[in-house]
Amino acid sequence: MDHLTHHLLRASVERYPERIGLVHSERRLTYAELDRASDRLARAFLGAGLGRLERVAVFLEKSVEETLAILSASKAGGVFVPINHLLFPEQVEHILRDCTPKILVTSRARLAQLTEVVERAPGLTCVVVTDGPPETQAGPRRVLELSRVLDPLEPGLDGPPRIASISNDLAAILYTSGSTGKPKGVMLSHANLLAGARIVSTYLKITESDRILSVLPFSFDYGLNQLLTGLAQAATVILLSFRFPGEVVNAIRNEQATGLAGVPSFWTLLSQPGSPVHRQPLPSLRYITNSGGAVPRPLYDALRKALPTTEIYLMYGLTEAFRSTYLPPEEADRRPGSMGKAIPDTEIYVVNERGGMCQPGEPGELVHRGPTVSLGYWGLPEATAKVLRPNPLALPQVGNAEPVCYSGDIVKMDEDGFLYFIGRRDATIKCAGHRISPTEVEEILIGTQRVREAAAIGIPDELMGQAVLAVVVARDGQPIDVDALLADCALKMPRYMIPRRVEVVTSLPKTAHGKIDYPFLRRQYASAPA
Amino acid sequence: MSERQPTRAEVTEALRRFLLEHFPAARRASLPDDAPLLESGIVDSLGILELVNFVTETFGVTVNDEDLQPENFSSIQQLATFVERRRG
Repeated sequence: MDHLTHHLLRASVERYPERIGLVHSERRLTYAELDRASDRLARAFLGAGLGRLERVAVFLEKSVEETLAILSASKAGGVFVPINHLLFPEQVEHILRDCTPKILVTSRARLAQLTEVVERAPGLTCVVVTDGPPETQAGPRRVLELSRVLDPLEPGLDGPPRIASISNDLAAILYTSGSTGKPKGVMLSHANLLAGARIVSTYLKITESDRILSVLPFSFDYGLNQLLTGLAQAATVILLSFRFPGEVVNAIRNEQATGLAGVPSFWTLLSQPGSPVHRQPLPSLRYITNSGGAVPRPLYDALRKALPTTEIYLMYGLTEAFRSTYLPPEEADRRPGSMGKAIPDTEIYVVNERGGMCQPGEPGELVHRGPTVSLGYWGLPEATAKVLRPNPLALPQVGNAEPVCYSGDIVKMDEDGFLYFIGRRDATIKCAGHRISPTEVEEILIGTQRVREAAAIGIPDELMGQAVLAVVVARDGQPIDVDALLADCALKMPRYMIPRRVEVVTSLPKTAHGKIDYPFLRRQYASAPA
Repeated sequence: MSERQPTRAEVTEALRRFLLEHFPAARRASLPDDAPLLESGIVDSLGILELVNFVTETFGVTVNDEDLQPENFSSIQQLATFVERRRG
């Protein structure tokens, strides 16, 4: 019975051992090779002392190695934690301290940047380096070189390890930001990941003849799902890091890609006026999917024009419950602006403030019920209890047995059950598909010692969806050097988090409880272009 | 821009200033003319667009689709060379 994440490989290995499962530029791995290599790395993890449910952090760009580490952690009965490769040591350190992985898989260059962070990481006992011996000592940690692990001459690493995991076990932790505090680790079980792969491959009709181009990071649940969906269906997954739209178009043509997933800023980039997507027909591309933010109508129209034979699926989801809705391509013209209906095997409620079900057209919070509802936030039972709550429609006899996910997103439903996004209830900022908590930005601003108080809000941005606007208050009698402030920020956070604009004010608006009045700030700067 | 064409040194300096202002990761490293901009992650895919707009508006050069190649954007030096070549 296939019930664990790495079992998704099993049927594919049996049916098509020699089929190419994974492509990264010149490298091609068959299903049999993927299976063998991930067995070896899993055994190496166990040999390095990884226990059941212990964490394996993976800090790599898109690569064969990143994929192997994910599969191998599952094969070893551990929990994989993909870390977004854009993060700076400050953010990586938070993750390593929070979920205390026993093993870190990374590259030489990344390890060199993380020397001090690794030094301080509690519980970390082993570093697996993917591209040769490390440049610097990793402290007292044990260092494994991946090339040695994968060397068939290295004895004792063949065959799948025996493990005790079951589908309810924790399989992965994906870090994402909320409205306050540092990023939280969303916990996903094997059952969650398998359900996500099953559901998505059903409505996208993915088969072994698909060739899926993967540009989204695996630290993003939807990016991870593309990998798992593809492997489960014995499709070919093509990994791509890119800088130019032309590289994406070339990859689609050269690899004859049939499927591609992106976030709105990715589609904006791909459909720029000069992009080759407008000049080269891409008949192989059967479907594209969007998630991580709404696609504005002009962008949708541009994509339709550039890709006339491609089906466009618009989706909505949040990491806490994976995906919730999708709009079938044939409905897109009839229901402009809709985020669609519930994905298969999932129910969506729209709940008003009194906890009752909304009438059609009445705005309320989107609540998700189904097998992809996560296990909550790692180590944060109170935050979990706010988001995962008892099903309001459960039979009284069933009681509180089944948690559902309160999304924090305000939507409305039309007469036919199609949903429309209205806005976020909290202060989370969303920039190019990344969720940003205002607190993360504010703490760094204040930490520079150049401002007394700071508030971060999202302002509209044509390309990124939103950009960060920082409203800051000077320290007593000292003028603020905005340029120096931004320079300090640049050392502490990735580009998407850095304020696009800084407004210096004499005081921040506060609520009666003395908290920053974010709704007021948002109204004040709502129309301000980034 | 003034009537006079900016010199190579002026182009280089303008590019450096723009990168430091808009690509904060550039400030993390010192930014010599041959510092890698792409592999280092200083300029990401969305950043390329900003860079193209800047080059177009500031130096009045046209950036065609076929110019969008890693070679032209790999360092300040390469970008300055590209701008010069384009202005003829």
